Amino acid sequence: MALPNPTLAAIRYGYGLRPGEEPPRDVEALLGQIEEGAIEKPRFPREGIAGRLDTATRVVSLLAAEAKARKAGNPNEDVRKATQNEARHIYRQDAMARLAQAIHSPLGFYERLASFWTDHFSTSVMKSLPMRMIVPLYEAQAIRPNLGGSFTRLLSAAILHPAMLIYLDQDQSVGPDSVAARRNGRGLNENLGRELLELHTLGAGSGYTQDDVRAAALILTGLSVDNRAMQVVYQPRFAEAGPVDLLGRTYRDDEGDGQDHVLMLEDLAANPKTAQHICGKLVRHFIADDAPPEMVAAMVAAWTKSRGNLTEVYRAMLAHPRAWSDPGQKIKQPFEFVVSGFRALDLPERNFGNLLRDMDDGDEDEGPVQKAMDLTGMAAREDTKKKAGRANALTLGALQRMGQPIWQPPSPAGFADEASVWLTPSQLSERISWSRMVARIFGQKMEPSVFLQAALADAAHPETSRIIAQAPNKVHGITMVLASAEFNRR
Amino acid sequence: MSFDNGFRLSRRGFLAGACCVAASPILTPVSFAAMPGDNRFVTIILRGAMDGLDFVQPYGDPAYAALRPKLGLRPDTGLIDLDGFFGLNPAASALMPLWQAGELSFVHAVSTPYRDQRSHFDGQDMLETGGNGKGERTGWLNRTLAVIPRSNARKAIDINTSMELILSGPNEADSWSSQSNFALAQDEIAFLDRLYAGDPAFAKAMEEAKKTDMSADSLYGDAKRGAGIADMAKLAGGMLREDYRIASFSINGWDTHVGQQGQFKKAVGDLSTAIVALKAALGEDAWKKTVVLAMTEFGRTARENGTNGTDHGTGGLAVLAGGAIPGGKVLGKWPGLSEDKLLDRRDLMPTGDVREVAAAMLSRQFGIEPDTLTAKVFPGLSFDTSSAYLKG
Repeated sequence: MALPNPTLAAIRYGYGLRPGEEPPRDVEALLGQIEEGAIEKPRFPREGIAGRLDTATRVVSLLAAEAKARKAGNPNEDVRKATQNEARHIYRQDAMARLAQAIHSPLGFYERLASFWTDHFSTSVMKSLPMRMIVPLYEAQAIRPNLGGSFTRLLSAAILHPAMLIYLDQDQSVGPDSVAARRNGRGLNENLGRELLELHTLGAGSGYTQDDVRAAALILTGLSVDNRAMQVVYQPRFAEAGPVDLLGRTYRDDEGDGQDHVLMLEDLAANPKTAQHICGKLVRHFIADDAPPEMVAAMVAAWTKSRGNLTEVYRAMLAHPRAWSDPGQKIKQPFEFVVSGFRALDLPERNFGNLLRDMDDGDEDEGPVQKAMDLTGMAAREDTKKKAGRANALTLGALQRMGQPIWQPPSPAGFADEASVWLTPSQLSERISWSRMVARIFGQKMEPSVFLQAALADAAHPETSRIIAQAPNKVHGITMVLASAEFNRR
Repeated sequence: MSFDNGFRLSRRGFLAGACCVAASPILTPVSFAAMPGDNRFVTIILRGAMDGLDFVQPYGDPAYAALRPKLGLRPDTGLIDLDGFFGLNPAASALMPLWQAGELSFVHAVSTPYRDQRSHFDGQDMLETGGNGKGERTGWLNRTLAVIPRSNARKAIDINTSMELILSGPNEADSWSSQSNFALAQDEIAFLDRLYAGDPAFAKAMEEAKKTDMSADSLYGDAKRGAGIADMAKLAGGMLREDYRIASFSINGWDTHVGQQGQFKKAVGDLSTAIVALKAALGEDAWKKTVVLAMTEFGRTARENGTNGTDHGTGGLAVLAGGAIPGGKVLGKWPGLSEDKLLDRRDLMPTGDVREVAAAMLSRQFGIEPDTLTAKVFPGLSFDTSSAYLKG
């Protein structure tokens, strides 16, 4: 199906227009991105998946060794500090790589889906120091390769990843009658069981009860994380012996192999309420807060027919007439706003990379060499710090100020998605500030009207074009393109 | 569009003088060029088309009062008389001590060769390139660097943000800016209001942002903007007191289509703040050797419009300040304001080329021959040793 509006395709289903990048021409082109994206290696984690596993396990061992030494009265502050610095550094690199990924990838729809699902199955780098390294790994390992296949597969990959088990305390949870509970008094933690039903599958208010939450938590017992290998493991001594009833089915773990949670995930994925919940959420994310019910229904039908094949669900969404009408109902989230801004500016990837280098250069170094620096050195140091501050203010700091720091959702429910949340006075002034900042730094020699065309093409209102052309100076013209309602809506 | 050039930042240090590293402004870049010799030259670009007729009001012209019934002042309504014919807008009263000391002059009815279209972007391009048309893509201040005698000892800073067009070009110049993203100018806010007028949700958020202390402070705060302007000028002054001899920066806020009185007062206040701060930062000795030239892309309509403002015009005003200028004068050839004297029956008729003012100041400050200036810096300009701006 040829698209009635390629500009809308790029804005509503991607991260906006980028000069030199042809917007998607038809539905197949959009869907084709999914397969392409799934096999592509993302720019994070920086050492790749195997490399990151090595890093994470090394850091965890170091921390464990230090904790042990501290307990024994020999704390090693240097080790602790160095580890913290390394984790912070790695997070920053990965977060910048995530920005770069979204900015530079020509697979906008795939990237938007990656963000959608990473947010749907939220985890946070703020949970613990090792999580700074594991969350990027989680997105690369669990979310990105699986967002076009069956929902069951995506659900299992997300739930059964160390990041999710750590984030929602599953690694702390043991069955009340398990060996571990009897031995050391630990007990059940319902966190993952609850969010699994409420957020990941059936949806809040879909009719499940507290008993169901507890049942799900019991079925999940035994799942834990081997921190030394950073792998999910099944620990029989944590597991609650069955049978457990959940939503009309009894889970017995007959084979005693700890696979009852797999069955549960399959059942939850196949539950019609899950299809309803997820399809509704996709439409609310891509189209409008007030999801058109006929569109959701068409997607649910595709879900049922394909047994939860997500590409078929996306196809049903894109084939619906409502997918191409009434643009601008949603407000770009901060990440989308910043990414689409950089795309419109067409900043070369190398230059974007330099921003990370500036931030790295600005890291404090209190070593003896630094202390011995003369006045000139100190001035250079000030300059370095200033550049670091600026690079941060353009990227990660901007997202922090706008309320959407990378991989740091405020809760397991992820970031808010309603348009009203992202169109407030303070949000708007942050966006105007950011627009001014990038316009001054990157837009000094650009023609505002040319930039408007690059950023919005035919999505710009004629009155907006007129106002931009009359701006009192070019920098303000560029600023207004980025701050315009059209550029902030999708 | 591509930003390969100039964005990759040098790691080299700068500012051995470290005078103002901590206290200065980033996002309005201040551009510098270092030069041997003691004389200094500063350009200030007033972006948005400054209304010269409001800044230095020709109250003695018989047609003035009728053209400007709301905006026009007289000495008995607050105008500060300068010479019996022209008077200074009271918003610039902070500059009066300079006028009295012979460190301030104005050049009326000047413009670039830009005509007819009245587009800010094109007008500013021409003001900064100093050429006759759109072909030139380097700044005249940058080209000047190559023709200043004794320039072998030139030292330059190699830092980032983006250089403004006036100092862009093949010759080494530095740009440096401060951390603070200082507040929007009044005309910029007015444009944002217009931008959001068609989208009620955005218009409402914008209205509230202006009323909310925190947002308003970061975006629109007068105090913050004033501090930002002063920081920028202090930075420029500090640099000029040390190794640098040429500096350039911009002040926005002059596009006063609506409610000019309030907007113009703020913009004039910003310019006055900048000049006073520059003088203070330079110190007495350096100020004596300094010429500041503030100029704009074009002037505004002689008549007020229907919204208490003025629209894009042609002939404008240049401001000269510093201890090395012919001070205490309103220079230029006054064309008169009667309707037959106006350009297109609407604009102050330009009787002088602002580039000639710039050329004369460069010649005075750096001993550059007029021929060299017309050949290399301002192609097409007619300027020679007989120029009135070389006298006094």
